[in-house]
Amino acid sequence: MPQQSSLTIVADVRPGETESLGEILATMGDGVANGSVVDLSSLSEMHFARFFLLEETTDLSGRPLPAALLYMSDFDVPKDRHLTELAGSPGIDRLFGHCEGYPAAGPTADQRLAYLRAHTVKEQARYVNTIGRGSRQIRREAELRDAIEGFLDRQLNEWAGRDPREIREAVRRFVAEEPSLAWARTPEDRPSLWWRLREGAHLVALPLLLLLLSPLLLLGAPFYAFLLRRHEKADPAPHLKPDEATVTGLARLEDHVVQNPFTAIGLVKPGLFRKLTIRGILYAIAYATRHVFNNGNLAGVKTIHFARWVILNEGRRVIFASNYDGSLESYMDDFIDKIAWGLNVVFSNGFGYPRTRWLVLDGARDELAFKDYLRRHQVPTRVWYSAYQRLTASNVANNERIRRGLYGDMGGEEARRWLQAL
Amino acid sequence: MAAGPVATTLDLPDVQGLVARGYGNLNAARFVLLGLEDAAAARRWLGEIAGTVTAGDERPESQALNLAFTSSGLKRLGLAPEIVQQFSNEFVGGMTTEHRSRILGDLGDDAPERWDWGGPASAPVDAALLLYARDDSELERLAEAQLRVLAAGGLRIVRELGTSDLDGFEPFGFRDGISQPLLEGLSKVGPPQYTLRTGEFVLGYPNEYGRYTDRPTVEASSDRQSLLPRDPTGSGRADLGLNGTYLVFRQLRQDVRGFWRFLDAATRRADGSSDPAARIRLAAKTVGRWPGGAPLALAPERDDPALAEANDFGYFHEDRDGARCPIGSHIRRANPRDSLDPQPGSDQSLALNRRHRILRRGREYGRSLTPEEAVAEQTGTGEDERGLHFICLNANIARQFEFVQHTWVNSPKFAGLYDDADPLVAPSQPFGATFTVQSESVRQRVTDLPRFVSVKGGAYFFLPGIAALRYLASL
Repeated sequence: MPQQSSLTIVADVRPGETESLGEILATMGDGVANGSVVDLSSLSEMHFARFFLLEETTDLSGRPLPAALLYMSDFDVPKDRHLTELAGSPGIDRLFGHCEGYPAAGPTADQRLAYLRAHTVKEQARYVNTIGRGSRQIRREAELRDAIEGFLDRQLNEWAGRDPREIREAVRRFVAEEPSLAWARTPEDRPSLWWRLREGAHLVALPLLLLLLSPLLLLGAPFYAFLLRRHEKADPAPHLKPDEATVTGLARLEDHVVQNPFTAIGLVKPGLFRKLTIRGILYAIAYATRHVFNNGNLAGVKTIHFARWVILNEGRRVIFASNYDGSLESYMDDFIDKIAWGLNVVFSNGFGYPRTRWLVLDGARDELAFKDYLRRHQVPTRVWYSAYQRLTASNVANNERIRRGLYGDMGGEEARRWLQAL
Repeated sequence: MAAGPVATTLDLPDVQGLVARGYGNLNAARFVLLGLEDAAAARRWLGEIAGTVTAGDERPESQALNLAFTSSGLKRLGLAPEIVQQFSNEFVGGMTTEHRSRILGDLGDDAPERWDWGGPASAPVDAALLLYARDDSELERLAEAQLRVLAAGGLRIVRELGTSDLDGFEPFGFRDGISQPLLEGLSKVGPPQYTLRTGEFVLGYPNEYGRYTDRPTVEASSDRQSLLPRDPTGSGRADLGLNGTYLVFRQLRQDVRGFWRFLDAATRRADGSSDPAARIRLAAKTVGRWPGGAPLALAPERDDPALAEANDFGYFHEDRDGARCPIGSHIRRANPRDSLDPQPGSDQSLALNRRHRILRRGREYGRSLTPEEAVAEQTGTGEDERGLHFICLNANIARQFEFVQHTWVNSPKFAGLYDDADPLVAPSQPFGATFTVQSESVRQRVTDLPRFVSVKGGAYFFLPGIAALRYLASL
């Protein structure tokens, strides 16, 4: 079973070079990467990737934050192999060549690799739609589904009045006899025992630790609650509308294929309280996405393929980046309607977020204030790559369901339900 | 900003009549698209006409008149740019931005560059004068009186759009306009799950989130004649948006011959002869209702006059897999009712659905054509055009009209589908030309569906409250 990995590279852009770097990024695609400069489709077992630029700005105390070039990717090979493949692309020089500390004039692949590795940063939390479902499996199961649908179409006249179990048997025979589908005769490998033991240990470790610390936590809770409410009442929460030109500029890159990237960055509210809260929350999210929301459903939202949260600039800023199905409008509606609490616990530590109560209440429920906040913090995803541009998360899950239905025995009702997936 | 439920009393004398009713008793209608050439003259004209605009508390029996402006029209009237910016970005940017064309499906032959009106290649549309009358001669009288004064009012006619009365049926031959959201504050009442908060369709009232949708307000001091009502949320500002709403207008040409000929070819008997019953049946599958109006979810086998206006049904409990009414059929995706994730069949699902409704106020145009006529060899010359002047009202264009159009109607991925855009009305796209007809056993797939509906024009308008019309005249 493959393990989806991810990579985040951050490099500061040299002063005055943001514009020329932006121009190169603009040639690399218009919403979807066109393969020029760096061909992300040539990297092994990819899911998604993006390059984007953070403009130079200042933090809340007026200190400068330099412009930065970021690369983010999700893939199934070991991180080192992914980095090595990336470093093998000479086009990397044209991008990171604008960044601080990049070796001058024609670096070797090894020098590139060293630079990229040195600029890799840790993600505080990640969401993977379904842990263990690799890119190859996703692409193959889409082919399997197409082949079965074609088979059903070709023999359409034969199915009327037949028992669902007979039809399923005919499909199974078709798959068994089709050489290009030989791989589908057996189910996907289960995760190794070692992996399951490790995950099991991690699953119980945190609750155990919390149990041990519970006396302290219980003592601290009223104090934390008091501080939280004091901050929540005092934090400014102005409702600022993004101007039409900004939104049009962002939207120009959206809705070219069935998925979209979303990238947003925000300043963490000043003070130690928020800095610690966001760290704690992201730790909790990392735990929850690893052990609870790891199978196609992020608390009711089923349209997200991958997402990540990364703390930057010594905790002063946080980036959220995701790959989701449909339009940003529908994505934001999902946030508001289904996981407003989940958005609130993270984003309410961001400066200017709609006012929350008790960390989870209100906030995103102020629909337009929330949508305007997201648009105002969104960063254009200049270069975005998707390995399966025509598959929604729902399609991917259904394809897997079709394949699983090929194995073992089924009763009549079970076979009838399975046929409905086709 | 106040949140939570607030008792709502819709100010009917200040909303334009089209919000309250579609003027079903006024069978004749004409929509006049206007360009504004002389701001001062147009404001004088507006001052005159504001008194004759039909309000929501009237029940006109012979004539009605409503008036809406595009964002360019508001600017040309003299509304300050910083006030115009307070309208929603969709309205300010207009229907023809590159991104909006993509999500609305206005690409290729449907691209705004090719439109008869509303696109970059045609004269700018600043306002729409919507005229309704009891019959054609009454409409003629109304139009004659209104059009005569336009030139003196600094206005130019960009286009006149005629309509025809097809007796409650749309040009493909199906009963139309059955499912409309009910609105708190209007006289028509119904089940609470289908009754929407006033703010979904009128600005200045709480919406389904219990919030007020953004709308333009001006300094009270700039409203010198105190024409505008005050902001109900208590900001002290004069409310330009209150009792107004957004009006989406799209002229949709329907290829009725193409529709029935495609269905005819797809349902021929083995010997190659037409099968009218199978043709109607497949047509009903694409729509989700029989021509007479009965929904397939309730009448899966045949049309049923007793169910012609039936609207109290869901999908999840009755027809989860689409064996009766296909998942991808037009009405199931334009209004999915109780079938939305994450808990289909629940009140929560209905609540999600209520956030994406539109109030339809369209009118058909062109001569009607029966399926038999459509399939038959064409006789005579001068093929006429037919279709729908699609008009809908909503307070939040992005969350209502655009969402329905993009996320539900045009999306080949709606409700877990793969390549199935709306079989009836979706534009041609890179993929999505499949129509899956689910059944209890193996589904049937109709592939390579051509495009039956094309876009001839369109724009986003603001339909102001009557006090706001007077204010605009006073600028």
